[in-house]
Amino acid sequence: MTAPITRFILFRAAPAVALAVMVGPATAHKDPVTPQLLKAYQEVFMEQVRKGDLLFHGDAKTEEAMGVVLSKTGMACAMCHPMTADTHPATFPKFQAQMAKFATLRDMINWCIEKPNQGEKIADDSEAMKALEAYIYWSQSGTVLNPGKF
Amino acid sequence: MSELERDRREMAAVLQQPGVRPDPSLRITRRTFVHKSCLVGAATVAETFAWWPLLNTLDVAYAAEAPFKFAWISDTHLYPKSLNTRFVEKTVRAAKEVQAMSPPADFLIFGGDLAQLGKVEELELGVELLKEVNIRKVFIPGEHDWYLDMGKKWGELFGQPHWTFDHKGVRFIGLDTVSRGPDYWTARKMSPEERMGHMATLDGTVAGAWAGVGRDQLDWLQKTLANWDRNRPVVIFSHNPLYEYYPPWNFWVRDWREVNEVLKPYTKVTNIHGHTHQVLYNEIGTMRSIGMLATSWPWPYAPEGVPKLTKPMIRVDPGDHFDGVGWAKIDVSAEDKVDAEYMMWRKQVYAQSPDDYAKSITEVLRPRIADNMWPY
Repeated sequence: MTAPITRFILFRAAPAVALAVMVGPATAHKDPVTPQLLKAYQEVFMEQVRKGDLLFHGDAKTEEAMGVVLSKTGMACAMCHPMTADTHPATFPKFQAQMAKFATLRDMINWCIEKPNQGEKIADDSEAMKALEAYIYWSQSGTVLNPGKF
Repeated sequence: MSELERDRREMAAVLQQPGVRPDPSLRITRRTFVHKSCLVGAATVAETFAWWPLLNTLDVAYAAEAPFKFAWISDTHLYPKSLNTRFVEKTVRAAKEVQAMSPPADFLIFGGDLAQLGKVEELELGVELLKEVNIRKVFIPGEHDWYLDMGKKWGELFGQPHWTFDHKGVRFIGLDTVSRGPDYWTARKMSPEERMGHMATLDGTVAGAWAGVGRDQLDWLQKTLANWDRNRPVVIFSHNPLYEYYPPWNFWVRDWREVNEVLKPYTKVTNIHGHTHQVLYNEIGTMRSIGMLATSWPWPYAPEGVPKLTKPMIRVDPGDHFDGVGWAKIDVSAEDKVDAEYMMWRKQVYAQSPDDYAKSITEVLRPRIADNMWPY
């Protein structure tokens, strides 16, 4: 089912969005951004946060709906990272010892899915990845950005 | 000021009175038990001595009529073997090591969370795995053992969830800190599985402040201690800490005021607890508390409120399932010293790095958002 906010963007905000796409970025910023539109953008974000929260906590229905298998051991991300503690999103990208490479947060998410959770890796541009990322960043908003810190 | 902040301030005002500390005879010494694995290299041993010593050694006056030791295993969080053998392997390892203790331990305390989702097969698997240990075993429940059937199977297997016994001059008490969660499930018409699912989520907000001792058990505790000399040692086992650490994750009991009221007259109280899956050491009022390791997985330290006296363990390597976990051995010597030793399976955990711990200091965490969705 389409969420109300998505419906809002599809139908009511569609002309403004379409116009923005047609005229390009050079003039798009001149269009007034209404409080209603700002709210809509925020709600799109929070919808992803909510999905990411459920995925992060091993919600089977959300995983099924999004076509991902994040764990085959019964474990979920939140079992080692309550409230995303110790995910350290603010330190990526950085050299990650377990992978022996310079890694992004997405690389680390997939490493955890594949190793501790023994699940199936997800695509970098997948909806599930974006949702997980949204939840992790939202949970730690306010944390000082410190990329590269091991 | 947030509710949490108000709680914290009140707790500090009530419990951390100037000059109130555990009895001086419960002196923490610099004597350190060196884990066998630390003997591998001189550098490791040196590092161990550098940071570890304050944690483990307690002197307990009157404690030992004769030297003895006991073992602690907790937080095995067993899933059925068909789903996850990793936690099974670690429980087997802990059981074998306890059984191999020489001289043998006088008894084993199981500190709760034997099962992950409270299923009969998980609890029975735990009993099966712990058969390896053939000394006396005593159990207290964790929330993971309880909230599928409200303790029915647990009671059948292990009996009364709170108990007491005296052993060689020490009064041991097992408390049930899990079974008195406020009923949030009936009004929401939750199935037992849904209820269990929420209790199995450490950072969930639906269950609220569930951990507590309860008025009836507090009365029982008072009665149990009434005939005990106030200067003789008491060791209390609980699943949750009996002091406040981080209420959003239920790293506390909500009736801490009443618990403190009952224990205040007793000068030598040690609380040994599970649930937090990490090295913790705290002194509050006249009681000292030691947090034990899980065998299953380690929790990260909470973003705030880690007791000042804790020497935190370093962040674990998630690629090593045996990192940051283990069991514990408590040794009561003829000189009335009690050593609580963490039997960590990966020796590198002893090498604390201040820089590494400092990584989490800038973390700012928010509670879950999905708990606000309806239905869940």
